Amino acid sequence: MKRHELAKNFKQVNTSVTKIDAMQLALGKDSYVADFLPKDALVIKMLWSPHAHARIKKLDVSKAEKMPGVKCVLWHGNVPRIVHCTAGQGFPEPSPYDTFMFDNKVRFVGDRVAAVAAETEEQALAALEAIKVEYELLKPVFTLAEAMAPGAPVIHDEPEAHVPIPITYEPKKNLVAHVACEAGSFKKGMAEADFTFDETYETPYAQHCPIEPYTSMAQMTPAGRILITTSTQVPFHCRRIVARTLGIPVQKIRVVKPRIGGGFGCKQEILLEDVTAMFALRTGRPCLWRFDREETFRTGRTRHPFHIRLRTGVKKDGTITAIALECINNTGAYGGHGLTVVSCSGGKTLPLYHCDNILFDGKSYYTNLPVGGAYRGFGATQAFFAIESLMDHMAEAIGMDPLKFRQLNHIRPGEGSPIFQALGEGREGVPMTVGSNALGECIVQGAEAAGWEKRTDWRGKTGRYRRGIGMCCLMQGSSIPDIDMGAATIKINEDGSFNLNVGATDLGTGSDTVLAQIAAEELETATDKMIVYSSDTDMTPFDVGAYASSTTYLSGEAVRKAAADAKRQILATGAEMLGLKVEEVHCEDAHVLNADGSKKVSYSDIANYSLYQKNQYQIIGTASHITKKSPPPFAAHFAEVEVDTLTGFVKVLNYVSTIDCGTAVNPALCEGQTEGGTLNGISYALTEEYLFDEKGKMQNASFADYHIYSMRDRPNIKAILVPSYEDTGPFGAKSVSEICINGPAPAIGNAIYNATGARLNEFPFTPEKVLKAIKAVKK
Amino acid sequence: MKTNTCSVSLSINGEKKTFATRPDEKLLDLLRREGYKGTKYGCGQGTCGACTVIMDGRAVYACLLYSMQAEGRKVRTIESMGTYDKPAPIQQELVAAGAVQCGYCIPGIIMSATALMETEKDISDEVAKEYMDGNLCRCTGYEKIWVALRRTLDRAAAEPAKKASPKGGKK
Amino acid sequence: MKLCEFVRPASLSQARASLRKLGPKGMPLAGGTALHFMPGKTPVSAVDLTHLGLSYIRQKGNFFEIGAATPLSDIQRYRGPRWAMHEICRRISTHQIRNVSTIGGNICRVFPWADLPVVLLAMNARMVIYSGKLKEMDADEFFSSQPARLFRNGDLLTAVKIPVLKAQHGFGSVKATRNAAAFSMVTIAALLELKGGVIAAARVAAGSAIPFPKRLRSVEAALTGKEPSAETFRAAAALAGTDAKWCKQEGMSAEYVAGLAEVSIVDALERAAEFARGRTA
Repeated sequence: MKRHELAKNFKQVNTSVTKIDAMQLALGKDSYVADFLPKDALVIKMLWSPHAHARIKKLDVSKAEKMPGVKCVLWHGNVPRIVHCTAGQGFPEPSPYDTFMFDNKVRFVGDRVAAVAAETEEQALAALEAIKVEYELLKPVFTLAEAMAPGAPVIHDEPEAHVPIPITYEPKKNLVAHVACEAGSFKKGMAEADFTFDETYETPYAQHCPIEPYTSMAQMTPAGRILITTSTQVPFHCRRIVARTLGIPVQKIRVVKPRIGGGFGCKQEILLEDVTAMFALRTGRPCLWRFDREETFRTGRTRHPFHIRLRTGVKKDGTITAIALECINNTGAYGGHGLTVVSCSGGKTLPLYHCDNILFDGKSYYTNLPVGGAYRGFGATQAFFAIESLMDHMAEAIGMDPLKFRQLNHIRPGEGSPIFQALGEGREGVPMTVGSNALGECIVQGAEAAGWEKRTDWRGKTGRYRRGIGMCCLMQGSSIPDIDMGAATIKINEDGSFNLNVGATDLGTGSDTVLAQIAAEELETATDKMIVYSSDTDMTPFDVGAYASSTTYLSGEAVRKAAADAKRQILATGAEMLGLKVEEVHCEDAHVLNADGSKKVSYSDIANYSLYQKNQYQIIGTASHITKKSPPPFAAHFAEVEVDTLTGFVKVLNYVSTIDCGTAVNPALCEGQTEGGTLNGISYALTEEYLFDEKGKMQNASFADYHIYSMRDRPNIKAILVPSYEDTGPFGAKSVSEICINGPAPAIGNAIYNATGARLNEFPFTPEKVLKAIKAVKK
Repeated sequence: MKTNTCSVSLSINGEKKTFATRPDEKLLDLLRREGYKGTKYGCGQGTCGACTVIMDGRAVYACLLYSMQAEGRKVRTIESMGTYDKPAPIQQELVAAGAVQCGYCIPGIIMSATALMETEKDISDEVAKEYMDGNLCRCTGYEKIWVALRRTLDRAAAEPAKKASPKGGKK
Repeated sequence: MKLCEFVRPASLSQARASLRKLGPKGMPLAGGTALHFMPGKTPVSAVDLTHLGLSYIRQKGNFFEIGAATPLSDIQRYRGPRWAMHEICRRISTHQIRNVSTIGGNICRVFPWADLPVVLLAMNARMVIYSGKLKEMDADEFFSSQPARLFRNGDLLTAVKIPVLKAQHGFGSVKATRNAAAFSMVTIAALLELKGGVIAAARVAAGSAIPFPKRLRSVEAALTGKEPSAETFRAAAALAGTDAKWCKQEGMSAEYVAGLAEVSIVDALERAAEFARGRTA
């Protein structure tokens, strides 16, 4: 991998350093929540609603409470009724407070009814069966059309439901959010066009499918506090929200995240910890709650389905004169993330192409279906399907190669977009010009790797199996400027090692390693001198957690600043030890030395001196960081598919994912993110879906029936890192993890068109849909 | 309905052991209860592979086996595979290739790969994929896992054949 | 069901005696993977069949004999003259399941998604049943309805006998799935005998998208006596709807599945014809 000119001297950053915890995990050492289970832990099981929409008229737990092994039963009658939001977001959340620990109403199949803590799983399950519930069934709402219809059943009719910040929220109309903006005049832009388009797109439900299901444990400490050990992406939001829902001070709670087995956004949610903590508080015993796989599908968070209307206007010369993107998302039974996902569907996509007249309208509605949460891509995934499908359509209308059409129109370095300021996440956004941008190079390199040159028109293709190549361009963001904050501390030890304590949350992404590399680079020492400890609300400073592609760009800069702070102290003490002025020394290779190297002292010497010998103090750096912009990573994806025109089955043969993430702090980990997110996007496009029965129950809640790819299914995925340098990021870095999942649906859709002439406006591209579209093709 | 306790005797990581169990206890639950926590719960339904162990030389899902089905058999878990000082080749290659992200699927993958190497000679890509098709990973896209696996297989093919001896059961 | 006892008999006759004694509370246990598809808490005693010498594959004259407790992965790895069982076995579920799931377990209680009954119907296999003594039953009779009916009285399947394919005979199968390990949407298996340039006999079976695996007699009739050409296969496949009522699968309509089945039948027949013409399996 070629290095960017500005990165060429980096010693720790832009190197594929071994992931710090890789060997521990490969050896199978105790690492995850359930591995730390005390012998006397109780098992928690939840009674879930079998109904999509109902009031609980009667709930009798008396028999369950007396059953063998049962220590406690929780239900709406014996817990505080405190309205809150489960979404892991900064406070005050840009989401409705519409959730109670237990309510007297259920709003989707899989909603909470009552919970039991017992000595064994068998006893807990038996107790669930002894809970008597009488429901009054209410008319359910299963589609956006039903939710929006005048006189629709009101899903959130509780008086407590409200939004903590001044944003649109009309629960009586099932409207969770509405955000809109216009730059220029869409009407005028359409009038200028030679060709206009008006297309509707649908994107489906999906589940993140982390291999470790939701797992959470809570226990009382000897000092009477609650220790929550949990598989979370948001330990600090967890602490705050559990404090609120239990009605106890934040001071009484400690949240620790050990290693976790994946999240992809579904664990940016406080979905288990309130109940787990309440049981620990009430019983005095450690309590474990682990969702099984079925519960993870039904009750776990999901990707918001979208209904998208996209209108565009284009001139014969390729100028895009107008774009109107209207997105409506189905946020399910609860509203967390509804607004932010729909905002990002415009905010993280519309700046990609030049256009003077852009209109965006985003809405979010409740339904009595599984709940949308944060899922990698976060609205951009859904919108890019529409935008990048229509880009191909437009290119064809004006007789231009779709690759050239994109090259003509994409944003360049130094350019801005009115959308950056118009669409934030709950608040107004931040005006921004794009700094680093290697999209042009991504397109060129990707096209070459994918063999774009050999692409031929579908009209010449014959035979049962037809191949096609499709592409798309993408952007995302890096952090939420002015809203999110991360912090770090770093202190020196006698042997020149450092304890790096960060709030930032490693969900398997390797952020502990990446942050160690950044610290080591700043401190002029080796990455393996860093002892990283992260995500402990008692012991590490604050961080919003792992979401919005912020860990490298935001938390990384906090780490760099903390390291710089420690470095100043090291230089001062080193100078003192050498009898020189601070201006006369510098750091190099874990030493402080003078210009010609004739006088030097090691970090270890400096540590011993400062800890034990003279003018003793602890060398420790601390820093926080808020970002001022959200520099987009850029990507160009290319998919080669083979379509069986007799059955509609689609196979991806080769896939190229290029990415400009600025400086790739750890190239191997960046490739790993790109490869993993791409494959997730491929199965999202082809085989993943939620199948509901007429009562709103998800039918295919297991890996046997919800298809994700195995090693035997996988196509060849080639990740190509294209370096650029983002001045505002730590050592030139931007984000890498989300953008890649946005590409496969449009790239594969465009490839299916190139193979067969069939355009699909919704996915997954099931064989039936593909076959139907092929049959409808007019030559 | 009474549930009986009974006992099961098996060899685990080379050591003969007897455990109290119940007829309806799954091997996965017994293993984790007895401290072999490298074997993971991912689905409990035999669909994800996180609980893969080797029984009598074959990779199997511990969540789909009753503990009694292991009576008199030889079971190997991830704890038999290597140590910090001497990791097994597959562990070294996975770490070196950057193939370990969240790591939750990795013990299962290592056990399936080990069963593959101890059963087949001249391992083609097709055969390797068939042995690995029961281990799901959501983080990596399998790319680097595949690279590491292929390197391990090629390394093993280049070395003189040796019988793998299970290590003592280090938990 | 809920396992509350685990019995390990030392012989076939002991196994049968245990099952007869336990009655409806007894359940034969081979790999045990199917037990997880039987929800509920009815207590059962499992009678372990994996130590009775029923795991083997051998060729005996004109038949391959596969022990009922042979894991699918063994069948997948076996190679013999004109052997064709590996084709479908390598497509069943995942490696770990194939290591534990047995041929007997797959056919003694047929679930709608089972592939082996389809294959054995096409191959005209014979099942060996122990009822104190051994008797054989052909696949048509065995799969005429849920085979579990044959084993309620403690009788046991001991082996499956598959005729060695003679020259001019060919076998082909197709399993249409979304992913490699997924349950089948449609499984088709076909056995063709070619003689003098035409199809002398055909056995075509289907499963998964229909309530119970069965032979497609109209399709077979439309093949017999005809040339093994693409036109013949398409015309025959078009009749499948008269034999089978296709069901919707995975959110896809019955109409689509019927079309998929037709294409799969043609594909399976093409493969069987190739095999018969001398392509090595």
